Amino acid sequence: MDKPKREAILDLSKYVNERIRVKFTGGREVTGVLKGFDQLLNLVLDEVKEAVQEPEPHVRTLGLVVLRGPTITLLSPVDGLEEIANPFMAQE
Amino acid sequence: LPLSLLNAAQNKPMLVELKNGETFNGHLVNCDNFMNITLREVYQTNAEGDRFWKVKECYIRGSTIKYLRVPDTLLDAVKEEQTRAREAGKSARGSHISGRGGARGGPIRGGARGRGRGM
Repeated sequence: MDKPKREAILDLSKYVNERIRVKFTGGREVTGVLKGFDQLLNLVLDEVKEAVQEPEPHVRTLGLVVLRGPTITLLSPVDGLEEIANPFMAQE
Repeated sequence: LPLSLLNAAQNKPMLVELKNGETFNGHLVNCDNFMNITLREVYQTNAEGDRFWKVKECYIRGSTIKYLRVPDTLLDAVKEEQTRAREAGKSARGSHISGRGGARGGPIRGGARGRGRGM
């Protein structure tokens, strides 16, 4: 009714061949180079590294990976990602 | 109301908290019926509130959102827009319906009953 085709609100074609950070339900976090995607947000990433938190924060490499869309909670490009000091008043 | 409020809030700043406790302060770029959103110029904070990141752009799945906080100024502006839109919609529909209802009342009733009995 609103639109004839459902277009994803995120245009992933601009991230192809760029490194992106993806978080999943379950708390896992991964970065990789986007190679392919579909409407359901299933992704194919290459040179994937997982940022493991338990028990020690370390990185394990996974190579070429297929990420299932339904489990993805967050997606952002690594480019432009920077750690900063507290920009607000201290929050708990 | 919720999704229309969100749609009306495009380009406005807001705070999003996810079920895992992370918070995102940014400007809403787009949203869809699943409440998936894309934000721009985002300040991300982790659940503990001890680490911060600045992210140019991010996409957040609606199913992971705990809540969204919207500035009060935005709330008032959107409320006005909505009441105006509703009144405009109602007055337009009201005039149409009254016109069509009267016209349809006769022919449709007769036609439906006739066809129903025939079938």
